[in-house]
Amino acid sequence: MILLAFHNLFQNKTRLVISVGGVALALLLILSLDAIFAGVEHQITAYIDNSGADIFVAQKDVRNMHMAASAIPASIIDQVKAIEGVEIVTPILYVSNMVVTGDKRNLAYIIGLTENSPIGGVWNLASGRGQPGKSETIIDRSIAEMSDVELGDTVEILGQRFTVVGFSNETANIVNSIAFISLDDFQALRGSPDVVSFLLIKTHSGLSADAVAALLESKIDGVTALSRTAFSSQERRVVKDMSTDVITIMNLIGFLIGLAVMALMVYTAILSRRKEFGVLKALGARNGQLYQVVLAQAFMSVVLGFGLGVVFVLLLSGIIPRLGLPLSLEIRPISLLKVGGTSLIIAALSAILPIRQISGFDPAMVFRGT
Amino acid sequence: MSLAHRNLFQDKTRLLLSVAGVALAVMLILILSGFLAGMNHQITSYLNNSPGSVMVTQKGVVNMLGATSLLPPGADVQVEAEQGVEQVIPILSQFVILDLHDKKLPAYMIGYDPGQGGGPWRIRAGREPQTDDEMVFDWVLAGRHDLSLGDSLDLMGQTFKIVGLTDGTTSWMTSFFFITRKAAENLLRTPGAVSFLLITPVEGTNSEDLIRRLDDLPGINALTKARMAANDLELFANIFSMPLRLMVAIAFLVGTMIVGLVIYTATVERQREYGVLKAIGAPNRVLYRVVTTQALFASLAGSLVGILLAYGLAGWIMGARPQFLIVLDPADMLWALLSGLGMALAAALFPARMIAGLAPAEVFRK
Amino acid sequence: MTDTTLNVDHVTKRYGSSSTEVTAVKDVSLSVKPGEIVLIMGPSGSGKTTLLSMLGALLKPTEGEIHLNGTIISALSEKHLPDIRLKQFGFIFQDFNLLSALTALENVSIVAELAGMKGVAARKKSAELLADLGLAGRLNFLPEKLSGGEKQRVAIARALINNPTLILADEPTANLDSKIGHEIMRLLRQIAKEQNRSVVIVSHDQRIKDIADHVLWLEDGQFKEIVSMAIDPVCGMSVEREKAFHLSLNGMDYYFCAKGCRDEFAADAEKYQQTNEASF
Repeated sequence: MILLAFHNLFQNKTRLVISVGGVALALLLILSLDAIFAGVEHQITAYIDNSGADIFVAQKDVRNMHMAASAIPASIIDQVKAIEGVEIVTPILYVSNMVVTGDKRNLAYIIGLTENSPIGGVWNLASGRGQPGKSETIIDRSIAEMSDVELGDTVEILGQRFTVVGFSNETANIVNSIAFISLDDFQALRGSPDVVSFLLIKTHSGLSADAVAALLESKIDGVTALSRTAFSSQERRVVKDMSTDVITIMNLIGFLIGLAVMALMVYTAILSRRKEFGVLKALGARNGQLYQVVLAQAFMSVVLGFGLGVVFVLLLSGIIPRLGLPLSLEIRPISLLKVGGTSLIIAALSAILPIRQISGFDPAMVFRGT
Repeated sequence: MSLAHRNLFQDKTRLLLSVAGVALAVMLILILSGFLAGMNHQITSYLNNSPGSVMVTQKGVVNMLGATSLLPPGADVQVEAEQGVEQVIPILSQFVILDLHDKKLPAYMIGYDPGQGGGPWRIRAGREPQTDDEMVFDWVLAGRHDLSLGDSLDLMGQTFKIVGLTDGTTSWMTSFFFITRKAAENLLRTPGAVSFLLITPVEGTNSEDLIRRLDDLPGINALTKARMAANDLELFANIFSMPLRLMVAIAFLVGTMIVGLVIYTATVERQREYGVLKAIGAPNRVLYRVVTTQALFASLAGSLVGILLAYGLAGWIMGARPQFLIVLDPADMLWALLSGLGMALAAALFPARMIAGLAPAEVFRK
Repeated sequence: MTDTTLNVDHVTKRYGSSSTEVTAVKDVSLSVKPGEIVLIMGPSGSGKTTLLSMLGALLKPTEGEIHLNGTIISALSEKHLPDIRLKQFGFIFQDFNLLSALTALENVSIVAELAGMKGVAARKKSAELLADLGLAGRLNFLPEKLSGGEKQRVAIARALINNPTLILADEPTANLDSKIGHEIMRLLRQIAKEQNRSVVIVSHDQRIKDIADHVLWLEDGQFKEIVSMAIDPVCGMSVEREKAFHLSLNGMDYYFCAKGCRDEFAADAEKYQQTNEASF
């Protein structure tokens, strides 16, 4: 019976392509949106994860960088240095602003770096220098490419012109990018000299970052200290919490579309073979055996559709970055599991109507003229 | 074409399923664009409802919801002194992340002087803040997190009391809330700082001229509020356009495939009939018409149902999740019908080619 | 009773109700022994298809009973029938009705599998059966690649695979040319005689009379007098002897469709005599 389903399915290539393709696209809706958000989630913590810092210190109750502001008095730096376990303390200034390249405005997080800081700077240099001097900046490579900016060109940041001395990788996502300037320049343009945004801390090796962070918080007023992993997971939650409802809605729609396509396909396929099913009944097949054929056909189609959908999303995740777009897709196992489960449900539901059809087929119809 | 009619209606279930598929695809396209339209509406709600028509920002800043803006000290005085400036309202604003019920909520904080303006434009309950530890919060967001008048909220190390709830200040990504300017200064550790100046020009003043003069002042940038709102829209449109266009493309393809499958199957089953028609002399274009009519009917019916579904779904989504705003424009309906049409024509191509290739001798084969 | 495979006892089939009632089959009785070939002939609309459907347990009679090997199959509920259809009957159709997506071998083996035979064994037995029917070189061909005669032979193999006692054939030679049609007829005869199965054939085809043990004429739902047929030597038409225009000449009987043909014959008998002898 499974064999019959298999042969029936592949006999009509056009119909197979259309229906498998349709399901694949519907599942692609779900897979690609999941992947886009997962990619953003991943990328949004790129700076934090690659900073080299073990602990982040922020203003009290501030546990994020994106869409957040943090201000700490510079005077506490000495206090922090004195905490047991703290090896390096690097302050950074941080604000969301624009990198204006020619006539394109790119939303960016501007990071003001202290000179020669071992942590908190560029971690993946594509070309040029990684340390910005006076009036110099390092911007993201894909952003530069989109505006034809080359090393030595100038861009406008915080209302001032900066010379691009380096391009960095992994510093852009669909929402924004990161640009590095010197702390001095930053302070001159923006802040008061007594205020910094975050303190990046490297602990002595072997120590638990969580423990040192907790110690820090207890000893110093008005700050929140988090280990890098804790800070990173807080940051990811911004994206996750924002996207939950959107993803749910899209999942629902994708499911409905996939179901419509599959139900239509199986129904049509069975209908076009009603004479053959009648023959099988006349020859003595039981309804149960015929249902097996329907179910097998539905499941096989859906499995193929799922496979194709996965191939599509993999292709997308490969092609899109190559187009220079700062959008990276990340396909997570849990997304595959969810969509796989959804496919199975679609297969089962889409078989219902045809099964009812078959039980109504009259075997006497086999005689000339259905 | 009654032949088309008969062919299509012969199988009601199949027709129903194909209309359903198209309807869903069209619905998706409408919901997506309505979502974008709603979001745009929400994004610019502050600018659309606040006083003034000219904005003064830090040099280099042309958005409200993009870059952080801090005016150089003394800028407000200089601006006030300019000719043609009737009223100047300063605000200090910044994106912050609220931690509520273990959920991270980005919110745009606006610090203003309650006496001057630039604050909430539609208070649903309660009042404006009077002291530096009071806050006016978005009504929808409050509802989602069980907050009401009198409750406390911790923010960046300080505790605020909610004294007012507002309408029109929400979106699915973020919402607006209001505190006094002094309170904002304390939080951001920027005493005396101003982000934006909302300018009301003297009546009869040439705005362009005013903007030019303001622009000349050191360290600041001036532009119309309308321009600023447009910039904000563009910023967000850029972010969402690619995923959105991807979804729309997929939806369109799916709709086409569904109609294609149905028409193709119906055509294959009737090969003999078409062969007969050919044999008795019907020209190809007559047969194309039959196929196209079927496709058109299925997709137009589907589009209409899709429009209805979109309204229904939009209503349901906004009821269940009031932070979403889905604006369905009658103009979009036209797009929906057009896309349905597009699906139909694309879907009719393949069966049409098949018919063209049919040999009339098909008739005599058993 | 045990000597007969099939026993049809005063079976009637009515469709519709009161004013729109149609009687397709009226008070029909027949019995078929193992090894017997029964041919049912009749004009279109005579009820042949309905009768065959009932014999094959595809349709229930309104009145009367049908016994197969002692079981009253007309009284069985639907859920018992698939088993009977699978193991007791073998169906052969006018348009072959092979599953288009399966090869010749798979078309036969699937029926064996339905009856519970395991895949490998089913395919082996099917291959043997197909080889017996001369299709050893066609096992992996799809129906679209087989000739009419080959398709019918696959159908016959399919009908035989579960070793049924009764073969039911609906116009088995209608879509085949003369030579192939003859071969199929021969095959059916072989199946009945050598394998001791009962065969009931419904057909228009005159040639099948050659192999049938009994010929029944069904008209308006009822069996009529078994008719003999003859061919008009002048125009070549088949005519019922009982109703035809008749002429006796030199001890031989001749039958004509109309007075005109008889007159023509009478005018020039020699010319037409050879034709008559070669009729069957």
